[in-house]
Amino acid sequence: MNTADLEQSYTALAESIGRTGGSKTPLLLATLALDLLRELPDAEAALARIRRAEELTSETDR
Amino acid sequence: MIAGGGPVGLTAAALLSRLGVDCLVVEADAGWCEGSRAICISRRSLEILGWCGADRPVLAKGLPWVGGRSFHRNTEVLRFTMPSEATERFPPMLNIQQYHVEQMVAATLSADRVRVLRSTRVCGVRASPAGVEVDLAGVGGAETVRCGWLVACDGGRSTVREQLGLQLEGTEYEGRYVIVDIEQATSRKVERLAWFDPPSNPGSTILMHRQPDGIWRIDYQLRDGEDPVEAVKAQNVLPRVQAHLDMVGERAPWKPLWISMYNAKCLTLPSYRAGRVLFAGDAAHLVPIFGVRGLNSGLDDAGNLAWKLALAHRGLAADALLDTYSSERVAAARANIAYGAKSTEFMAPPHAGFALMREAALRLAPAVPEVRALINPRQTSPVEYSGSPLNLPDGGTFGAGARAGMPAPEARLRAGAGAGAGSGSGAGAGITHLSALFGSSFIALVFSERVHSSAAARLRSEDARRAPPVRWVRVAPAASRIDPADDLLIDELGEAWHRYDAAEGTLYLIRPDGYVMGRWREEAFPSDPIERVIARILGRE
Repeated sequence: MNTADLEQSYTALAESIGRTGGSKTPLLLATLALDLLRELPDAEAALARIRRAEELTSETDR
Repeated sequence: MIAGGGPVGLTAAALLSRLGVDCLVVEADAGWCEGSRAICISRRSLEILGWCGADRPVLAKGLPWVGGRSFHRNTEVLRFTMPSEATERFPPMLNIQQYHVEQMVAATLSADRVRVLRSTRVCGVRASPAGVEVDLAGVGGAETVRCGWLVACDGGRSTVREQLGLQLEGTEYEGRYVIVDIEQATSRKVERLAWFDPPSNPGSTILMHRQPDGIWRIDYQLRDGEDPVEAVKAQNVLPRVQAHLDMVGERAPWKPLWISMYNAKCLTLPSYRAGRVLFAGDAAHLVPIFGVRGLNSGLDDAGNLAWKLALAHRGLAADALLDTYSSERVAAARANIAYGAKSTEFMAPPHAGFALMREAALRLAPAVPEVRALINPRQTSPVEYSGSPLNLPDGGTFGAGARAGMPAPEARLRAGAGAGAGSGSGAGAGITHLSALFGSSFIALVFSERVHSSAAARLRSEDARRAPPVRWVRVAPAASRIDPADDLLIDELGEAWHRYDAAEGTLYLIRPDGYVMGRWREEAFPSDPIERVIARILGRE
C-alpha cells in the first residue's frame, strides 16, 4: 500500500466512523480489526499490534 | 469401594469387576438421576461403554448426530461436521439422557462382583497406607466399611473430597444458563443448534438438542443482572421457550419436564490420587458444558483408572502405576479446561471485550469463512497423554500413525478364523473394529502377511511368571494366508495399515484402555519379550 492508498483508506475510515456514530464505533472497529488480524502472518504479529494499540490508547496526556 | 453411583461410578464398577475386582458402590440417591443432565455421549465414550457391554443398549436408544448449525439473528453463520465415515463403529456423538445411561450401565453389573447400596451416604473417610475406612449412613442405620481402595465418583460437591480437605483449583464464570427439558413430538434432524441474539429472545444465546423419547433440551443464557432464583421459575422460563419454539416452527403441544441452572466452571484437583483414594469425574474436575467434556471426560477417567487399579490391586503392577492415572487425567482435564474456557468465552462472554469481539465475529462470519472457526463449539475428542511415563520411545522411524500416548486409531476389519474380536460392530458376518479389542488386556498388534514371523515369535514369552495378560493379534492385508490357530484380523479396506503407518512386521503395543504404549519396526524390535517390557514399565522389575 503506497502513501496515496493509505491516505485514501485513512479518510474512508474516518468518514465511516463519522457515519456510524458514537456507540457503534467499538463494533465497527472490532469488526474491522478482526477482519484485518487474519491477514497477518501469525499470532506474534497480531499480539504485537494489539499491545501497541492498547499502550497508545492507555496514554492519557501525550 | 466406589463413592457415587452416577454414570462414572457405575462405569468404574462395571470395568473393575470385569477385570476381577469386586466393588461396593455407595449412592446417596434412591433412584436414577433427576433430569436429563449429561446428554451428549462421544464416540470415545461409546467405546468405553462397549468394554462393559453397555454400548448396544445406549446405541439402540440414543439419537446419533454428526454436526450442527449456528445462527446470528436470522442468518446461518456456521455449519460444522465432525469426522464420520460409512465404516465407523460408532457415530461421533449420540444424544441420550443420563438416567438412561445409568440404568444401562447398571444392567451390565454382575451381582456376584458388584453390590450397589442406594440411599446411603458417605459421611466420614479415614485413609491410611493400609486401607480406607468409610463411615456410611443409610436407611438401615450407620456402619463403617473398610476397603483397600476408595474411588470417589461422588460428583461436583464430593463428600470424599471435602472429608480429605482437598480443594478444586481454577476459575468460575459469571454467565448463567437455564437448562430446560421439554416433552414435544418432533421429526427434526438431530444436530446441535445454536442461536446468538435470536428474534425469539433478543440478546440471549440458545442451544437446542433433540433427545430420545420426544424430549428437547433447550439451554439459554440469562440476561445480565437477572436474578437466578426468579429465572428458573416456570412463569419466567415457559414464555421464552414458547417464543423460541414459535420461531423455529415447532408447533406440537409441549410441557416442561425439568428446569435447572448452570454456570461455566474450569476447576480441577491438582492430583487425582491421595494415597488409596482416587478421584474421577466431577469429583475430580468441573469443566464447562460447552463442548460436552463433562461426563465424557469422566468416562475416560474410569477407563484410564480401571485397568491400573485392577493390576495394582492384584499385585501385577507397582503402586506407582496409579500415579500415572493422576498425571495423565489431570493433564487431560487441563486440556479440556483450556478448550472449555475458549468455548465459554464465546458462549457466555465474561466481559464487554469478549461480547464485542463475538459480535464482530458473528457479523463477519458469513462473508469471511476463516472467522467461522471461532464460533465452532470445539466438541470433545480424546486427549493425547504426551509425556506420560508409560510411553515407550518409537522403535524405528514412523512418519504417521499414532505415537505412544495417543488413542489407538480405529479401523474396520474382518475377523479371521481364530479371532473372536468381541462385540459392538454388528455390521455383517465377521465384520469387527479394532476398538472392539480394547478394554481388558494389553494388545500386541502385529501387522504382517506371514503366518509365522520368527521376529515376533521371539517377543512372545512363554514365561509363567505372574504378568498382565497380553493378547497377540495379527492384522493381515486382504488375501493373506490364514492359519486357523491365528488370532487374526483381515484389513480388507486397508484402513488399519494406513492409519498405523504399518510396514511388514510393524508391532504396536496397546494399553488396555486403547492408548498406544509403544510401536516398533521389525528391525528395531525390543530385545526382551513384550511381557517383560510391560512388567518393567509397570514397575514389576
